[in-house]
Amino acid sequence: MKTKSKVFKEEPNLPSLVPPWLAALLSAIVPGLGQALARAVQRGLVIFFSFVSIVGLLIWRFRLAAPRDEGFFNIFKKALYLEPIFYFITALVILLYIWIIIDAYQIAKRAGGPKRSKPIMVFVFLLLVFFIIGWQIGQIDLYAFFSQVDDALPAISRVLWPWERAITYPEEMWMGLATLETPCDGNPPPPTEPLEDRPYLVVDPTCGIPSTQDEAEDGSVIVVPGTKLQVEGYNFAPNQEVELWWRDPATSQFRHREAGEITRVIPDDDGYFEVDITWPYRLIPDSYLDETVNWELQGRQVTNVGDWEFSEELKLAIEKMIETIFIGMMATFFGIILSVPFSFLAAKNLMRGNPFTLGIYYLVRTVLNIIRSIEPLIWAIIAIIIVGLGPFAGILALVLHSIAALGKLYSEAIESIDPGPIEAVQATGANWFQTVMYGVVPQIIPPFVSFTIYRWDINIRMSTVIGLVGGGGIGYLLTQWIRMLDYSAAGIAVWFIAITVAILDYLSAAIRERFV
Amino acid sequence: MLEVRNLTKIYEDGTLAVDNVSFTVPDGEFLVVIGLSGSGKSTLLRCINRLIDPTEGEIIWNGVDLAKLEGDELRMARRKIGMVFQHFNLVDRSTVLVNILTGRLGYTKTWPSLLHRFSKADRDKAWGTLKRLGIEDQAHKLARELSGGQQQRVGIARALMQDPELMLADEPVASLDPVLAHSILQHLEDLNQEDELTIICSLHYLDLVQRYSTSVIGLKDGKLVYQGSKEDIRNMTDEEFKTIYGEEAVRISDTSLEGSLGEVVEA
Repeated sequence: MKTKSKVFKEEPNLPSLVPPWLAALLSAIVPGLGQALARAVQRGLVIFFSFVSIVGLLIWRFRLAAPRDEGFFNIFKKALYLEPIFYFITALVILLYIWIIIDAYQIAKRAGGPKRSKPIMVFVFLLLVFFIIGWQIGQIDLYAFFSQVDDALPAISRVLWPWERAITYPEEMWMGLATLETPCDGNPPPPTEPLEDRPYLVVDPTCGIPSTQDEAEDGSVIVVPGTKLQVEGYNFAPNQEVELWWRDPATSQFRHREAGEITRVIPDDDGYFEVDITWPYRLIPDSYLDETVNWELQGRQVTNVGDWEFSEELKLAIEKMIETIFIGMMATFFGIILSVPFSFLAAKNLMRGNPFTLGIYYLVRTVLNIIRSIEPLIWAIIAIIIVGLGPFAGILALVLHSIAALGKLYSEAIESIDPGPIEAVQATGANWFQTVMYGVVPQIIPPFVSFTIYRWDINIRMSTVIGLVGGGGIGYLLTQWIRMLDYSAAGIAVWFIAITVAILDYLSAAIRERFV
Repeated sequence: MLEVRNLTKIYEDGTLAVDNVSFTVPDGEFLVVIGLSGSGKSTLLRCINRLIDPTEGEIIWNGVDLAKLEGDELRMARRKIGMVFQHFNLVDRSTVLVNILTGRLGYTKTWPSLLHRFSKADRDKAWGTLKRLGIEDQAHKLARELSGGQQQRVGIARALMQDPELMLADEPVASLDPVLAHSILQHLEDLNQEDELTIICSLHYLDLVQRYSTSVIGLKDGKLVYQGSKEDIRNMTDEEFKTIYGEEAVRISDTSLEGSLGEVVEA
């Protein structure tokens, strides 16, 4: 320490080992060498390693940007072409290189003179270079963020307000029919009989010919329009959409399209509508063309009947949320039971008695630290390999992490107990069990309760995340819905997670306040 | 009668805390131990009830060498020795009543006590002790909610629950203000005079020593440097005081302090 500061103080007073021009030249060949020989060794080292790492990073990024090109110049040209940010970075590096040479010259010239000022600007400059390289490596693209955020808004808004998806109405399909005949045989079917309470269609005329396909002179296919039909609908549910469908003689059913658009009509307040359509083209087996056949026109209306009810998605989200809470609870439960013994082994005040117990202390501490430093997500993946997908894997992962975390917290609570009361209880003639019960337990119960509730809180939050990799619970559901692009359902799951976590947060804070 | 013979305590780190100390305490005595912080007062007191195991020496109490006791015999001896601490050493998060009942643990079977079951007699005794010390209103409060003076009374009550024949008090008033110091020491004096309890008490302030002690020993660097009766301490010279408390010691004027305190206590 003493010698170091001595060297540092005397450093500026020693003359440079090389003349300024040589220092500049040396720094041009090996950046930083000139500074080092001018007795600014630290500065030279910082410059050298910074420059080498910047150039190394640049070479890597250039190669990555132009992976199919060979030769230095080609790669350089292609990368600049593909990612213009490289122009900027290259310019900065060249500036840095020039500055290093100038700096070497000045350092060598001033060596032996008064104390140099600290090169703060250079460090700012170096930071800037690293920052820009980091920008390039991170593929940060603010333009993409702001230009594409609009497209994401519908999905995001469905996540934010998914509750339309939370309820459904029982649905029923109403159908009004009319029969048509083709070709006309002089005895067309009568108009549909009016019905009471049930929808029906009246078509005029009741016979005609469908559209047909023909070949134009230039070889392209053209459609020859069929009979124009006027369709009237009666007794439909008012103001709810009706779709027109056909049932052809071969009994296959299809939607009616007028000029490619699906025909949808909305009946008026009396349940009546009127629409003009063209008898569509349909490829029908030849056997149906020789005789008079019936087509059926259907007016289909899907209506909500009865009261609203909770949707399947909502029920599933509630079920899985409960599952999640119990995953967290079971994990906490096993975590407590298993971490208590470990916490005593990891408490230094209990274990430092002799080298053997101290060895156990270090061993337990190390193992707990290793377990704790691995994310529960990774433990879940390992657990899934062993026990398969589902809640049990999630519980296993959380138990492991809880043991490590609680073991550490508990052991710290044990380490921080006040020896005074224990001494006082011993002094009354109490035996070992009584001393623990009256001197130790009252002191560690409050922090244990506090940490345990905190951990329960964490475990429930974690169990939602564990589900993402297949550890059961609502997280599992959430990933499925996101992958199915069902953002409303995913929104319900997100809301439940948020609500549950908020409630638990409040509860755990309230309970902990009572104990601490 | 308590007889300490050639008591020595050397800690594991090599500190010589008590160095070959011998003295005798007749029953019914109010013995005050004086000395600087670190002079070995606390170690000496803790050696007597074996919270600290002495390295060498004998502690003969009613014909038994406490230094040689182990296990159940040691606990049986301990329950007859009450102890009061400078920092009260109450279990902060337990109620006053539980803290006081802790004093009966030596007399209670393990299983009932682990379930916090104490006999009716013990509970009645606890209430009686609370009343005697004037803290029955505080019985169901947590110990940490009490003021310093009240906490020390709980500490004394806990020691009294042991039906002690000997009371050790390790700087019982060092954490309290002078007014409370007198009130706590008066409780100890009552016990000494009314219950004929032998008291060994370490104190810092000479005026308190002069006011309450019936005999005094002084420790310096673990060695016994002073031994005197009530009269000796009344007439203690500055020179003697300095051998115990070192050259820098300034004698607190007993008249001024005691006079003013006396008024406050009476009021």
